[in-house]
Parts: sequence; C-alpha cells; structure tokens
Amino acid sequence: MNTVLQAKGLCKTYTVNKHKNDVLKNIDLTVYEGEMVAVMGPSGSGKSTLLYCVSGMDKVTAGEITFGGKDTSKLGDKELARLRLNEMGFIFQRMYMMKNLTVLDNIILPAVRSKKNHESRRKTEERGKALMKRLGIDDVCENDINEVSGGQLQRACICRSMINSPKMIFADEPTGALNGSSSDEVMDELLSLNRDGTTLMCVTHDPKVAAKCSRVLYLVDGGVVGEKKMGHFDPNEMSIRDREKELNSWLMERGW
Amino acid sequence: MFWRILKKDLKRKKTMNIILLLFVIICSMFASASVNNIMAVTGGIDHYFDIAEVPDVTVSMSEDCEADKAISELPSVKSVKTEHYLTVMSSKHFTHNGKKLDNFINPANFLSADEMGMKYFDMDNKVISSVDKGDFYCTSPFVQKMDISEGDEVVLEIGDTTMPLTYKGCFKGALFSNDEMSSPYIIINNEDYRTLAKDKYFNAGSLSTKRLYVRTDDVGAVRDAVKGDDNVYLSTRDEEKGEYLYDMLTAYIMLVISIVLMLTAFVVLRFTIGFTLSEEFREIGVMKAVGIDNGSIRRLYIVKYLAISVAGAVIGYICSLPLSSAMMKTVSEHMVLEAEKQGMLGVISSSAVVVIIMLFCYGCTRKVKKLSPIDAVRSGQSGERARKKNFMHLGSSKLPTTGFLSCNDVMSAPKRFGIITAVFTLCMLLMTLMSNFAVTLKSENMLKFFGVPTCEAHIGDMEYMQDIFTDGTAYQEIIDKTEKMLAENDMPGSCTMSFGANYETFCKDKSAKLTYTVTKGKTDDEIKCDKGRAPENGDEIALTGYAMKELDADIGDKIKTVIDGEEREFTVTGKFSSFQGGGYAASLCRDFDFGNDKITTTMGVQIHFDGDPDKKTIDDNVSKISRIIESDKVYTTSEMIKQVTGMSDTLDTIKKMMMILTVIVTALIVILMERSFISKEKSEIALMKAVGMSNGNIIAQHTIRFAIVSVLACIVSTIILMPVSNLVMNWICSMIGDVSGLKCAFVPVEIFAVCPAILIGVAVIGSFLTALYMKTIKASDTASIE
Repeated sequence: MNTVLQAKGLCKTYTVNKHKNDVLKNIDLTVYEGEMVAVMGPSGSGKSTLLYCVSGMDKVTAGEITFGGKDTSKLGDKELARLRLNEMGFIFQRMYMMKNLTVLDNIILPAVRSKKNHESRRKTEERGKALMKRLGIDDVCENDINEVSGGQLQRACICRSMINSPKMIFADEPTGALNGSSSDEVMDELLSLNRDGTTLMCVTHDPKVAAKCSRVLYLVDGGVVGEKKMGHFDPNEMSIRDREKELNSWLMERGW
Repeated sequence: MFWRILKKDLKRKKTMNIILLLFVIICSMFASASVNNIMAVTGGIDHYFDIAEVPDVTVSMSEDCEADKAISELPSVKSVKTEHYLTVMSSKHFTHNGKKLDNFINPANFLSADEMGMKYFDMDNKVISSVDKGDFYCTSPFVQKMDISEGDEVVLEIGDTTMPLTYKGCFKGALFSNDEMSSPYIIINNEDYRTLAKDKYFNAGSLSTKRLYVRTDDVGAVRDAVKGDDNVYLSTRDEEKGEYLYDMLTAYIMLVISIVLMLTAFVVLRFTIGFTLSEEFREIGVMKAVGIDNGSIRRLYIVKYLAISVAGAVIGYICSLPLSSAMMKTVSEHMVLEAEKQGMLGVISSSAVVVIIMLFCYGCTRKVKKLSPIDAVRSGQSGERARKKNFMHLGSSKLPTTGFLSCNDVMSAPKRFGIITAVFTLCMLLMTLMSNFAVTLKSENMLKFFGVPTCEAHIGDMEYMQDIFTDGTAYQEIIDKTEKMLAENDMPGSCTMSFGANYETFCKDKSAKLTYTVTKGKTDDEIKCDKGRAPENGDEIALTGYAMKELDADIGDKIKTVIDGEEREFTVTGKFSSFQGGGYAASLCRDFDFGNDKITTTMGVQIHFDGDPDKKTIDDNVSKISRIIESDKVYTTSEMIKQVTGMSDTLDTIKKMMMILTVIVTALIVILMERSFISKEKSEIALMKAVGMSNGNIIAQHTIRFAIVSVLACIVSTIILMPVSNLVMNWICSMIGDVSGLKCAFVPVEIFAVCPAILIGVAVIGSFLTALYMKTIKASDTASIE
C-alpha cells in the first residue's frame, strides 16, 4: 500500500507564561492510501493538535512529517498553503464557512484559487454542483450559509474538502456539532468517500464514528498508547454493533 | 472587580484601546481649541471695544469738511473727540536700513499722541499714554514682512522734510484694521506731528483727514446730520466689529475644519464602540446566564469607555492649549483679550466630548437589555434569519479570486464600508476644498469683483495716481502718460483706470450710500451682470444685489443721486457682483464722468500689452515699468490678486495643514478599522489559511477592500466637490461683498491626481501594514476560536 502520510518522532510543545506543556510526545504515525483512520482519546490528549500538526496547519516542535512524499517540516508557509490547497481537504467541527459567500461559492473557492484542474470557472461551478448533488444538498446552491441546517452545512464542508480531489481529508470532530440523524448522514458520506478511495483521518470522541473506520489510534497525554486495526467497514456485509462492541472493550482496556 | 476587569481588558485589546484613545484626544483637542477660539474672538471683541473706549459712532471726513460742527451741536451728543491724520500716499517715502519700504500698498496715516481719541495698547496690552519725540508706534500693516526690531530707525522723507523715527513697537487700535491690505496708522509725538503738518506735501491737496469719535444715545440724529454729505463716512460701534471679519473668518474656518474632524472622529468612535461591544456579546451572555443584572453589565462597559474618554479628554485638553495659542496668535496680536475665560472654555469643551462619547456608549449598550442570555451567547443572533441577497457569484465572475473576495466583502457589508467611504469622502473634501479656495482666491476671476478689467499688469502706487483724488477728470492724464511711457519704452499697450466715489442714493422712499464705479480707457471688457445687462448709456446703471435690496429697486426702476452738484437719474439695467463698498456698489457705463467730484477709491491703472506677450515678457515689462516710475507697486495680475485678496497665503497654509491632518486621520481610521476587522474575522482568516490561502492572498484581500473604498470616496468627493466649493466660496465672499454665481477655480492635477493619490496611498499603505498582523493567526486557530 502507498504511504500518504508519515510522522516520525513528532513532538509539539506549547509555552504559556514560561510554563512548557508537551502536548504531543514522540509520536510515530503512518497513514496508507485508502485508509480511514480514527484518532480517539480523552479531552486534552492532543488529538486535534496531532491533526493540525500532521496537516501542516501548525508548526511542530520536533519530528519529521512526510506527506505525499514531501517533507513538510522543510516547507515554508506559502508552500504549506499550496499543499493544503491542492492535496488536502479539511472538515471542522464547527462548519466554518465564509459568511459573505453562498454555499456553492464556499465550496468552489479552493478550486478557483487552485487552478489545479486547469478548467474554467463555469466548469468548476458545474463540478461543485455535481458534488452537492451527490451529497444531497444541490437545492441550497444559492443559499446564504445562515439559511441551511447544520447537517447541510457540514455536507457542504465535505464538498469543499473534496473539490480539489485531495490525497487526504482531515476531519476534526465532523459530527461533534450535529444531532443524531445528521451525524449518521455525514458519516455515511465520509464512508462513501473512503470507499471511493479517499484517505481520511478523523478525530472523534464518538466510538460509533470510530467503529466505522478501518484503524483506530488511541492517544493519552500526547502519546499513542494503542492502535486497533478494524478493517474496512461495509454496512451491507457487517453489523456496526459488533464493531462497536469490539472497539468499546478495546477502548475500556486502555482506560476509556 | 471592575478595576480588575478593566485592567485585563485594556491590556488584552491594547491596539484598539490606544487608537480609540487617540480619536478621543483628537476630538477633545479640536473641540477645546476651536470653541475657545470662537468664544474668545466673538466675546473678546465686545470686551476689547469696552476697554478701548470705542465710541457709539465714528465719523470720518476730509480735513476741510465742516460736518463736525453740525455733529457737535446736536443735543443728543454727549462728547466728541477728534483725531487729525496726515496721509502719506506711498510706502516709498519710508526707508529702513537704507532700503525704501514696499510692504504696504495703501496710504499711511500719522496721528499725534496728544490727540488720541480712544485707548491704544502696546503689544503688552498696556495703554499708550504718550510718545517721546523721535519715536513712533504703528499698526502691524506698517511693519508686515519687515525684519524690524524695537529701537530700529525708520526715516521718513517727504516734501522738504526728513524725519528719522525710532520704532517702539506695534500698537493695537480697536478701529484700525490689521489685515495686510489696510492702511497703516502711525502715532508720533505732537511736536513731530506739527513739524510734518507744516510740510508743503500735506498742504498740496486733501491729504489730511480727520475722524470724530462721538458718544451719543441717538445714532440716527448723527446720521441725519451728515446725510447728503457724500464724503463723510459714518459707522456705528456694531458696524466697526466688521473689521474683525478676517479674524472671525479664520476662526470660523478653523471651527468648520474642527467640526469635520470631530464628526469623523465621532463616527469612527460610534462604529468602534458598537463593533467592540458586539464582539463581547458572548461574555455578556455568560454574565446574564449567571445572574448579573443588566445595569451592572452595562456599567462595566460604560466604566471602560469612561476611563478611555476621560483620559483622552484630559490629554486632548492639554494638547489643545498650544493649539489654541497658535490659533489665537494672530487674533491676540490684534485685540486685547481676557485671559481668564480661555482655560474654562477648554475644560467645558473637553467635558462635552466625554459626555457625547458616554451617550454613544450608553446607546450602544442598550442592546444588552433586549437580548436573552442565549441570544447573547450566540453573539447577538436571536435565531431569526434574514435572507441576504448576494450580488456577486464566484463562478460567473471574471475577477481574480482575491479581487472577487474584496469586492464581495464590500458589497456584503454596505453599512460598514459605507461609513468608511463617507469618512474618507470628508477627508478628501477637506483637502480639495482648501485647494480650490486657495486657487480661486489667486485666480484672475476674482479681479472682476473689484471692477478691474482683464489685463496683464497693474500699477498700484497711490502716489502715481494721486491727482485722481483731487480731480475726478485726472484719469485721462494718468492713462495718457502711462500709455506714452509704455510706447516710449518699447512696451506698447493700452491702459484703463478703475475708480469710484461714494454717493447717497435714493429710490422711491429708500436711500443708501453706494460706491459708484467706472472704468475708463480702452478695453473690450464689460461688467458681467448676473441678471439683466451692463449699462450702455450715461443714464443707465447696474447695481449689486445688496444695493437693490437696500433701495428696494429692481431692473427697470429709476434711482437718483447728486453727482458733481447735479441731480442725476439712472435706470437700473442689471444686477452684478462686487466686493466694492462692502457689496453696496453701482457700476456706470464707460462714458460716464464724475466731473469735479472727489474720487474715493481706485484699483489703480491696468495695462494691457499689445501683441499678447508671454509670461516672461510680461514679467520683464513689469520690472521695467517699476524702474521707470520708481515704484515697487507694479504687479502682474497674479501678484495684484494676492495684494487685493490678502487671504490666499493664509489659505495656502491651511491647505497644507489640511493635507497633513487628512493623512493622519485617514491613517488612524484605516489602522483602527482594519484592526477591528481582523479581530472580527479571525475565524474566517484561520479558515482561509486552513483551506490553502496564503498570507499574501488574505493581506491583499484586506488591502484591496480599503483601496476600493478610498477610490469610491475619491469619485464621490470629486462629483460633489465643485457644487460644494461654489456654495461655500460664495458664502465666504458674501461676507466680504455681494458676490454670487462665483465659480471656483481648481487645479486639475491637484484635484484629480495629487489629493486622490494621497488618500488612496495612505489607505492602502495603512491597511497593508496593519493587515500584516494577521500573520499571527494560524490555520489551526479555527479550533480555538469560539
């Protein structure tokens, strides 16, 4: 399997009023193409920090990160930005969108900026609409972001994360701000993306979400204390309950 | 608890609080200085007139006039004091450091110290009670643009008399004007005065005048006593206050500028207070949720803004003191002011600024009461959604991404950016209005309001044409000798002479004293009438609007006056604009003659060179004429205008000051607004970085927003500039004379290039440098922003 992301000896320290706080301690991590990796752990374990460090959104204190064969620790801010634009997608817990743009414009903004696909804006718009149709939100193209529900907005964020056909999508608690039914819808969409070959790394508190992933990393106090290979989840062939049960007992053994 | 919260807040939002403080300082400083200035000038005039013992009525006449006898005999007259003057027509009779003076254009008047009819003050505001033999005091026009110190000698050479006089300093005379164009007054010892009075120069003609200071309860009776005597000029105490028009005009211009700056500062403050409060709704919501009442929450923010505004007001008041002194400098050189009031006024003005800011703050915090805790936690959103129409679409736009985002931001927040545009427009107008005023007052258009036809050069030496003051027909001789001089010296040209006399004029049952003017000599220029037409015959006349109003006359009506001993009737043919006679003027056709009547006013001799010479030739000719007639009072048209209006240099200085102020205010506004925007849009900035926009893109987006707004402001101000300029310029001119329909001149390069470049440049550079702050926002901050 091809390696999409690799981190070696990853450390991140925050200094606040001269007090040092080691948030990540010597983490080694590899994500292969086509995987859907969940990162779990108690609050303050460094899950989101790990996500932002490996995606280049935050600088690491020590360690080496390779993404798509490139050593991101050697890249400047501009190169990192280009990398994020062309090769990565992001889904945040709070569905951040540009409030002055319509839902469709928010989705196609990275593609218009990127020029990766060498296409006209009209074509980009058509692709955006196609993505929105795939995720069942094509009726809110021209809506203001205040005019759609949380679930629709998160699906719009998924569309935005996919518009540039990224190598990997990073999701930070993608269902954290959603109700039950919306959570299920969003997770189903992410699973669908993964089945189509998109690599995902997902931070989550929710074992139900983690149970749908192919691998689970468990972080405690900035270090990986456990890793569980769950295998690909096919809802047609397996019961999610069994996977949840298996995961829960594994987590409980590690202090969950 | 308040003090702890206040300390933390002031520390946390240092930049914003500092800029808020700066705006409060600007407001307070200009409020204090301007109000101080206005109150000192307007209130100070009355005080000055009281201590100077200005009489109820002042009557000026020639030495041989006998109207003073009639006035003294009036039963209502309590006292009459008389001052006699000896008039020296030209400054070239005076020498300082071996050089003849050329720094004043109008005749100088000598007054004996024994005859001072009012109190005159030296520059230390002490009453001048006597002048030693050989010494002199003078009003400021005599020593303007001179490098002279107390103790210096000035030599008067006139007729057969040579009199060295030692300069003791300037004096302030309540009824003696201090503007550059006015006649200087010189107080000398009585012996020196007697010596001068004996010289044949002063006995040759009517170069001696006198002034009566009359104390009376019945001004009307004094007016009636001198009615019909055309060469007697009467003014009341109130009318004399108009001498301080220049000082008041400058003070009012400064007040207008201050008001605009204060409005700008208040708009920015209002916006910022509302904006920063809206940022703190989450905190307000939490406070409400835990049970803190609305009053306590509002008090917290009011205390913060009270602290900033009090600190700003105190600093602003302190800064206003040197500013006020600078603004008052010229005024205090002309008047004796009460010192005590100045401090109090400044304190009151600064306090008013604090009160207004607190009202803003109180108004902005009203929303606190209306919101429920959850609404406040949701940052002021009550859950109701209003549909917002997006005018721009990224997919169909041809703009580059950054440009699109900038334009979209501006169009999505029309109120916010509209306010910034309005403020920038005001800043732009401040610069361009001053530029237009300064240029207009230097433009050749102004001369027509003084009854001067188009020409290339002017002779303004009163001595050169002094015969006209004793013989109204002497103009032809003056024109002929000038044209002969030009022809003989290889400068062929034609000459005109504009002059006038004052006459009591009657129409129906109304009367008014008007200045009648005529232009003699060869010229194609006609007076331009705002209504009707110029007079073409000897029995036709054009009047100014003021004159028409005073006489209740209209075009077609007949007016009467006595000229050269004969009753004359004229038909009013048109209405024109003029500064002459304070706007109470009449214009006659070129054929008209005043006969033997005394001419009281002249704009000198105008020269129109043949062959349409270029500027260099004109300048050379002016220098040649100056050498030939031995006078420095030969001017090109632009120099003449400067001499006549006297205000253009002041406006030039104000213009430069406005440009500097605009730069400072624009920069402050841009820094404050951009900093506020970064704070408000932190989550969006982090998001844009997260999805792959570089720092450069986002900084460019923010900078372009301000560029758009400043370009819009330039366009709007350019559209309204000319109508506003014309309106204000006509208003200013209406205070000096009766002028309407004046079209402001402008310098295209300044209006369309320099001023916009300054505004746009400052806005772009300021926003760019401030936007660099967003480099501190990381893409990962999307997680930590609530």
